[in-house]
Amino acid sequence: MKRSLVQEFTKGFIDENPIARLVLGLCPALAVTTSLINGIGMGIAATFVLVCSNTIVSMIKGVVPKKIRIPIFIVVIATFVTIVEMVMAGFAPVLYKALGIYVPLIVVNCIILGRAEAFASKNSVGRSILDGLGMGVGFTMILAVIGSIREILGDGKILGFPLFGPDFEPVLIMILPPGAFFVIGILLGIFKWSDLRQEKKKLQSIVH
Amino acid sequence: MSYTIKLAVTLGIVCIIAAFALGGVYEITKGRIAFERERVMKEALQNVLPRAKNIIQTTTPEGKVYFRGFAAEDTSAAPVGYAILAYGKGYSSTIQALVGVEKSGEITGIQILFQQETPGLGAKAEEVLYGETDSWFQRQFKGASGLEVAVDKDGGKIQSITGATITSRAVANSIKSEMEWLKKEGLILSESDRLY
Amino acid sequence: MDEEPKTDSEPKLTVSSSPHIYTTESIPKIMYSVVAALMPAFIGALYFFGWRALWLTAIAVLVSIVTEAIIQKFRKVDITVTDGSVIVTGILLAFNLPAGVPWWIPAVGAFFAVAIGKHAFGGLGFNPMNPALLGRAFLMASWPVHMTTDWTNPHGGTLSGLAAITGSTPLAVVKDAMKDISDGVNVEGAQSVLESTRDLYFPLFWGRVGGCIGETSVLLLLIGAIYLFYKRYIPYQIPVAYIGSVIIIAWIFGGEGYFSGDWIFHVLAGGLILGAFFMATDMVTSPSSPKGQWIFGLGCGVITMVIRLVGGYPEGVSYSILLMNLLTPLLDRYTRPKVFGA
Repeated sequence: MKRSLVQEFTKGFIDENPIARLVLGLCPALAVTTSLINGIGMGIAATFVLVCSNTIVSMIKGVVPKKIRIPIFIVVIATFVTIVEMVMAGFAPVLYKALGIYVPLIVVNCIILGRAEAFASKNSVGRSILDGLGMGVGFTMILAVIGSIREILGDGKILGFPLFGPDFEPVLIMILPPGAFFVIGILLGIFKWSDLRQEKKKLQSIVH
Repeated sequence: MSYTIKLAVTLGIVCIIAAFALGGVYEITKGRIAFERERVMKEALQNVLPRAKNIIQTTTPEGKVYFRGFAAEDTSAAPVGYAILAYGKGYSSTIQALVGVEKSGEITGIQILFQQETPGLGAKAEEVLYGETDSWFQRQFKGASGLEVAVDKDGGKIQSITGATITSRAVANSIKSEMEWLKKEGLILSESDRLY
Repeated sequence: MDEEPKTDSEPKLTVSSSPHIYTTESIPKIMYSVVAALMPAFIGALYFFGWRALWLTAIAVLVSIVTEAIIQKFRKVDITVTDGSVIVTGILLAFNLPAGVPWWIPAVGAFFAVAIGKHAFGGLGFNPMNPALLGRAFLMASWPVHMTTDWTNPHGGTLSGLAAITGSTPLAVVKDAMKDISDGVNVEGAQSVLESTRDLYFPLFWGRVGGCIGETSVLLLLIGAIYLFYKRYIPYQIPVAYIGSVIIIAWIFGGEGYFSGDWIFHVLAGGLILGAFFMATDMVTSPSSPKGQWIFGLGCGVITMVIRLVGGYPEGVSYSILLMNLLTPLLDRYTRPKVFGA
């Protein structure tokens, strides 16, 4: 059963969301999401790398010997990450200052290698681009959600604008590393909970 | 054997292509990155030496770098101020600050260029309150006498960041020690020099 | 017994999960004894820190109970707030707070301790870490300014216990002095401060010093601890190993040179007594074998002293216990008593 092209794009939003369902790419999701803008910035950077690497991997899938496919994927991914890093340093210095040290981590981001191995090396270029784009959007969305929760609670702001009065004392731990674990843990819990509910409903509809 | 060679050649080719791609992007972005870096430094220098029109980098024979700020393009007159980089070991990073000082020893401004202190605590050294344009912590150094810079806990006038004494101290003490170096070099005056 | 003997590969009898040994003790009985054992220190806290101590403790206990009830209702399990364990969590959390914190600090801390520290892992018996200490760690990371500066003077004394020094707790005073000596600034002043810790023995023992609500009075905490020993509710191995290792390390490394540290001060100051007798001995989160308990206490002592002497905080009791809590399953596994004859 082949997915339609639209499904290929949208599956990464919720059904196969990299963080919430596949639990891949936690490293950047944990490290950079101290604010909404950082989450979006990291999401866009990862999406760009994901689409580019999916495209190239899909294009060369016929000529890559199976034994050395992983090193070749890594070279492809690392190349694009370095390109992102240089472009960011030159043209988006503010973002680079915030994300700089985390950008190289995209190389080891499991989503990118995961999609290269599990999808792009087996599918057409068109589908691979859609897959990369969809996964990237899903990744960006969840990073934005985590980033906004952490920024609101841990800093009392959203996109730098203070939300509460001066008496609000932010929950500092939320913008420290443990805060990322709390938010992701609770998000995973919510996803799992809604899964279970849906399964229950399905079972009940079968029974009746 | 030949299969191994084939693998090596394939990987080699991929790497060569990647290298060329990176080289190309590097060439394109190189100028821009250097420009950005210089712009950040220039802005910081202008911030800490507001009276200077022309700022020139100087390296001592020992290899220490500082900046001389001149009131006009002409560099033959005496400099109106000096800027120097101060490195202080904070709680979780080495804090790098640029300090501007006049010959009288009065600090004309500081700007923290790099720090990775704890968010919400030490990182507040760079905090700009909503509706303001500069950092409240760094602003305090303006007008202070460089050789007497110290945080309140050490009897000085700089109000330390609540809960981040180590960071506050690191900034103040690193600046003070650079000021002492400038004085030793005879570039700035101390309180006693001014009296006599 | 007319059953045919089974082959070796089949189970001969069905074993339920531990504990196997029947006892007349029940969770409520033990927990309310712990509450009773904490009462002398609580009354002391009322005397030293006033009504605020009662107020903050009441908030912590109340929020703990309400949180547990709501979560258990939501999880559709029996509501067990009357077994006393959640009350112990609330009291211990409040005992670990400075008396000057705003009212919402114990409330948020108690909620976190019970919701995340206890029920996120499955409730009583499944929590890997002491919930009260986890709540304190959460508060420390979230509102460090409140948690490290909201001290209040004890009744009839100063924060440091010394008349000459105000503004910080005894451990912080000593830490600053040690730092001054190693930095080479104000060495004489710092040395005289270290000398004066001897004058602190009585205030520390009696409790007339600054500190968290329930940790200051060694005497009153010991009264409670003796009661628990008498009832055999806490193993002696953990406190002995914990306090013993603190004594040895403080004596060797705690002074200017080696073997000159003021170990009496390190035992009496801070939260060691509260931690060693009431928090490190928590049944759920500490090892069950005596050998494991010795190692557990030793680890707590080492980590506490490492934090006190070289760490960023003046006090390390709560973090040391939390870290050793995490090692408990491993300790239990490697110190499991051998089956006789096996």
